[in-house]
Amino acid sequence: MGILSSIYDLWGLVSALVIVALVVVVAMKMEKIRQQQTALDHLKKSLEEMDEQAKLIVRTDIELNKTQEELNKKITGLFALQRLSRAISTTLEETQVFDRIEDSHLEDIGFEKGLAFLYKENDKKFYLVLKIGYTQEEIEKITSSIDWDFYLELIKQGKAISSISLSDKGRVANINKLFNVRCFVAAPILPKEGNKGILFVGIESEDTVLTEGDEEIVTILANQVGQALENVKLFEQTWQAQQELEKKVEKRTQELREALREIKLVSKRKSDFVSAVSHELRTPLTSIKGYAAILLSKKLGEIPDLIRERLEKINRHSDELVHLVNGLLDISRIESGRVSMKCEPYDLNEIINVVLDLLGVQAKEKDIQLSAQVDKQLGSVMADRQQLERVLINLVGNAVKFTPKKGKIIVKAISKNDMVQVDVSDSGIGIPPEAQASIFEEFYRVDNTINEEVKGTGLGLSLVKNIIEAHKGRIWVSSKVGHGSTFSFTLPQVPK
Amino acid sequence: MQIGLGLSKHRDPLSAANEALWQAKAAIGTDKISLAFVFSSAELASPALLKTFQVYLPRIPIIGCSSLAVIHNSNIHKHSLMILLISTKELQISVASVKNIREKSAFVAGQELAKNLLERFWSPKRDLAMIFCDGLIEEGSKLILGIQQILGSSFPIAGASASDNLRFYKTYLYYNNEMLTDAAVGILWGGKLNFGLSLRHGWKPLGKPRTITESKGNIIKEIDNQKAVKLYQDYFAKDVLNLKKELKYISTLYPIGLYLEGEQEYLLRNIISINEDGSLICQGDVPSGSRARLMIGTEESCLDAAQEAAHEAKENFNLLIPPFAKTKPSIKFVFVFNSVSRYILLRRKANEELNMIHKAIGIELPLIGIYTYGEQGPLKATAYQGKVHFHNQTIVIIALGG
Repeated sequence: MGILSSIYDLWGLVSALVIVALVVVVAMKMEKIRQQQTALDHLKKSLEEMDEQAKLIVRTDIELNKTQEELNKKITGLFALQRLSRAISTTLEETQVFDRIEDSHLEDIGFEKGLAFLYKENDKKFYLVLKIGYTQEEIEKITSSIDWDFYLELIKQGKAISSISLSDKGRVANINKLFNVRCFVAAPILPKEGNKGILFVGIESEDTVLTEGDEEIVTILANQVGQALENVKLFEQTWQAQQELEKKVEKRTQELREALREIKLVSKRKSDFVSAVSHELRTPLTSIKGYAAILLSKKLGEIPDLIRERLEKINRHSDELVHLVNGLLDISRIESGRVSMKCEPYDLNEIINVVLDLLGVQAKEKDIQLSAQVDKQLGSVMADRQQLERVLINLVGNAVKFTPKKGKIIVKAISKNDMVQVDVSDSGIGIPPEAQASIFEEFYRVDNTINEEVKGTGLGLSLVKNIIEAHKGRIWVSSKVGHGSTFSFTLPQVPK
Repeated sequence: MQIGLGLSKHRDPLSAANEALWQAKAAIGTDKISLAFVFSSAELASPALLKTFQVYLPRIPIIGCSSLAVIHNSNIHKHSLMILLISTKELQISVASVKNIREKSAFVAGQELAKNLLERFWSPKRDLAMIFCDGLIEEGSKLILGIQQILGSSFPIAGASASDNLRFYKTYLYYNNEMLTDAAVGILWGGKLNFGLSLRHGWKPLGKPRTITESKGNIIKEIDNQKAVKLYQDYFAKDVLNLKKELKYISTLYPIGLYLEGEQEYLLRNIISINEDGSLICQGDVPSGSRARLMIGTEESCLDAAQEAAHEAKENFNLLIPPFAKTKPSIKFVFVFNSVSRYILLRRKANEELNMIHKAIGIELPLIGIYTYGEQGPLKATAYQGKVHFHNQTIVIIALGG
């Protein structure tokens, strides 16, 4: 029994131990669960907190995105504005200014629809100049029921309006309805010159919202358009002025051309007349001179001294007249081109020497020193020898004639730019400035004592000028009264 | 394979069609044209376009759609028309369309489109399907599901939902001489085609993980046993009315992301509208029980994702080259289906994204693309075992060659 009871005791002990152990284990588990529960609660809490943070992030992010979008819209708008300004500022016509505003420009500055009207002062009416995003039907509806006075007032005030800035909300609703938009900006176009107008832009879709920035951008655009219109006007004015000037120049040129043609005609008639008259004069002159010569030769019998004296006078005057007529004939022939220069290369030095030789006798009579200075490297000139001799005889002859006793005459020849320049200088009485321009004219004679004493035709220098010009040369004079004159002329040089 | 590209910015559809077509014809340098892709902005979509093409490209299959803008290399052309002519002897092509999707239900329409594609296809080897569908159809996922029923659940499909000028008003599909809405068009490629397909979005999860506790098709009814709309109300601290006003904007930048086992990125769902009962209507399916997060996109993560996708598309192209090929195929051109959400997020950096892709793929290769209201493609692109899903905010890059 003792054994049995001890077994029971042992069993009781073991049971007790097991129970205690179980209790401990359960307690431990409970503790762990409690701990885990706390951890889970913590986790849940932090997850909730994280979600709250996420909400903050999302709300900030959406604001950021909106701001960025607004900024982006502005930047895109400004870029578009710049492109648009460049496009319209290079136009030269009023219609082109508006033609260059395209759908994409408007879209980039954030609008879908656009209209522009210009007010023409002369007929007090608005004209449509730009239409984007509107059908013809819509345009007709708008133009038929639009309140023009309201927009005229806007132009007068020079102020832009928009669906957000206009305080009269009833009007905003009316404009929205009429123009078929949800929001709009209308800005006046105000060029300093020319027609003023209105630029209207609007948005139809519900996704975009209008901001004050949009109003600014549209105002800038309207200003740019105004400036472009102003430029067009200025350009037009300048262009017109230029056109008028050109017309005037053209007219004047025409007049001058006419005058020149007339002068040429008159000149030709004169040459023809002179030529004809000279011819007609020469025949009777020859007869007169012939008869006088016969009478003087006493072949027809003795003549009294008185008659002989008169006959000699007739003879002398006839000679002078023949000389005059020949001179006139020469001039008219050269002028009309009937006499062509037979140009050949000649040694200028030789020709000058021949002429000086010829006139040496006369010079000696007046004790005038006559000399030549010809550049030895000069080479030859292209000239008609006979005519050139005539030129030199005339010029040197004149020099001798107008140079007082013990004077000095120098003939110089130098090479200058493919031409030969010949200067005939004297220490004579000189030519007054007012006469210098006329001395090459026919029959012109300088008013001085020598000319009163010595006879001359007044054709010499005119002939000289004609000959030189027929050689494609030039002749001119420089002179000072009391100090002498220098007659210079050029001739083409023979290339070496 | 030879290609010729034409692009016109004419405002008049007829002139645009003429200009683009003659450019493309001059560029391709052959009269044997096998196929034409046409992409245009919505306002240029007109029967006049197709009339012109019909006259100058008689009996040539034409498919395409409208888009916010057309992509050429790293340029984004709004208000433009683009035509891509393809001439090939080695490739087998069939095109098909399905109309009245809403009436037929998207699933049935998908099946019909796939059947039509197969009916006209003769080659035993088919490689890739490309789908363009109306961007305003709500059940984009069902359409894909229907196509998969016929073509096989792991058959590679790349798709794009047509877009308009962000008005979500009307999008268009082009199919031969027809201009369609409420429709889908597709092309099946086979023969000696080699391609590399990849897609990414770059949006990151934010906040507490949640569970879609009740949903039906593309409608999320409850999230964490609460009205679905409460998720957006909580995060943005807005009442339903204000939320509705900004929904397009909010949903574009902060879509819902669905967690998919083993996938690198979450599957994104844009919210199209909010129902009176507080449920959210998505463009793609949202299965009940899915784990979901609110997603956030940043310019940086978006650009990184695009670059990754470009590299992966190139790698995938090379992976698909048969080991003992006589002539090693090379990439001829690259298609990009780019979500309009990315355009909205990236704004002026949108060109940068394309530039990065173009550089990664090869600057000498023509990059051709459109902006889309939805994208379709397999998530696990590398292995092509992954099921094709309907995506949002995603860029799909397809390198094509042969």
